[in-house]
Amino acid sequence: MMASRAIQRLTTLSSRSLRPTWQQAPRTSHPTRTFCVGARAFEKKYTEDHEWIEIGSDGKTGTIGISTYAAKALGDVVFVELPTADLEVSKGETIGAVESVKSASDILSPVSGRITEANSVLEEKPGTINASPEGDGWLARIELSDVSETEGLMDSQAYTKFTEEAEEH
Amino acid sequence: MSSAQWTEELAKPVQAYTSTSRDPYLNLSIEHDILTRSASDSLVLFLYVNRPSVIIGRNQNPWLEVNLPLLNPKREQAEIDPAGLGAVDLVRRRSGGGTVFHDEGNVNWTVICPRDQFTRDKHAEMVVRALRSCGIDRARVNERHDVVLDQGQVAGHPDPEDTHSTPYTMPGGDGPTPLKVSGSAYKITGTRRALHHGTCLLSSPNLRIIPDYLHSPLRPFIKEARGVESVSSPVGNILLDSDEFCTAVRNEFARMYSPGEKTPLRAIGEDLLKFGTVAAGYDELRSLKHTYEQTPRFVLSNESDELATTVVDFTIREGRFAHASVYRRGSEPKQIMEVDFPNSHGPKLHEMELLDPSADEGSESWEDALMPLWQGLASAESEKLVSWLRRTVRQGWQA
Repeated sequence: MMASRAIQRLTTLSSRSLRPTWQQAPRTSHPTRTFCVGARAFEKKYTEDHEWIEIGSDGKTGTIGISTYAAKALGDVVFVELPTADLEVSKGETIGAVESVKSASDILSPVSGRITEANSVLEEKPGTINASPEGDGWLARIELSDVSETEGLMDSQAYTKFTEEAEEH
Repeated sequence: MSSAQWTEELAKPVQAYTSTSRDPYLNLSIEHDILTRSASDSLVLFLYVNRPSVIIGRNQNPWLEVNLPLLNPKREQAEIDPAGLGAVDLVRRRSGGGTVFHDEGNVNWTVICPRDQFTRDKHAEMVVRALRSCGIDRARVNERHDVVLDQGQVAGHPDPEDTHSTPYTMPGGDGPTPLKVSGSAYKITGTRRALHHGTCLLSSPNLRIIPDYLHSPLRPFIKEARGVESVSSPVGNILLDSDEFCTAVRNEFARMYSPGEKTPLRAIGEDLLKFGTVAAGYDELRSLKHTYEQTPRFVLSNESDELATTVVDFTIREGRFAHASVYRRGSEPKQIMEVDFPNSHGPKLHEMELLDPSADEGSESWEDALMPLWQGLASAESEKLVSWLRRTVRQGWQA
């Protein structure tokens, strides 16, 4: 198979050469962790739609983004449609969209709640999603209406396994 | 067809439709209904032809991509040069990508599949195989996921199954530029469905005038535009009969997803507009709010007008005037004033001084709409700027 074709195949979310690398991502780069002192009470959780959420130290505000794996599959992000503050969403509802390589892809909320902030950096620099999908490229902050909703989500280990299984398709 | 029958159709594992309508808003709404309501693991082919229309991508700027005054010429504008096509629709579709011109000389093809089966090339390859089955041996998929026809002489003997090269493909991209005959755009939904569609140029009579529709007179005055800009490519007609093309695509789709079974192309059309989900999508696509107010932020400015001594940068957000920044040109540019229009309530650019004198409603004069700005400027400066706006932002009649 030609090299150029291999690149195009990334869109299948199934290229072997693209291991998720978020395990190595420095945790300190995450904005919500600045105020997090002591033991980690909440770990980052992932959905089957490749979004992540991390609950802040206040225990009720989460930061949402798309996974490194998804960012690589999307390719160069050229535009991000962000949610507006105060938007009330249910789990699984669309909170935004990204455009990359002629594709408009919906982004879903991993939990129910109220959007408190969108990452305005992405308006001017949409490529931040590719550069740092699980850090500076976060999408929005949300005040969760039911923190227990995160219990059904995958932890990083389970998510890695999930993406590896997807690759075997 | 009854609502129950349509729902039943949408539940089938393999579906193939062709539209009897030429209405771009309707065809795109039917397509969206299929995308959002078809069975989660189903595979769907949809073929349709639109009347002359300009279709912009989800995150594009119509003022930047489209020659708006040319869309709906009427009366005194009739002598417009070059001669236009009469009324042409402007549609913002839901998928990504760039601007494309539709007319009766091309067939739009759509494949909807589960997200986990989707690749950006898979169905462009399907179309290439269909074209080759009609004897179009120069067709291949390029690195932008478009379908192109190689030009020039035989240069090699690749595997005939290879949909990414033809005997006419020059190594290293040398040789005559291949002509684009079908683009690609995608929409991936939260319901884990993926849509791939393209417009296959078969025999458009309008190739010479299409560029006039896609060159905006406003382009020199737009800067800092966010969103997606079109990439223009040389295009060509395949010179293939549309029925022959549709049959070939259907055959290739059936070979991939329902071998050995009958997969007839079922005719659908205007009939579906009676269903709530289709009608809602139709109304949304036709609304000026969707067409214009979804435009990513940009700046409209007379900076490139070298004769202007007073320069104004208008920030347009969601299609509305959000901010104006005025400065005097000179060796040391001097800021004169900044005006903020009320958040999300500024005048709508698409409602400014429509060329249609009958459109009293929703057609605002530059003098009234931008009053807070003129109040801070000398009247000679204001008059010059109004005159520039009136000359430059010429908007067509809106349907």
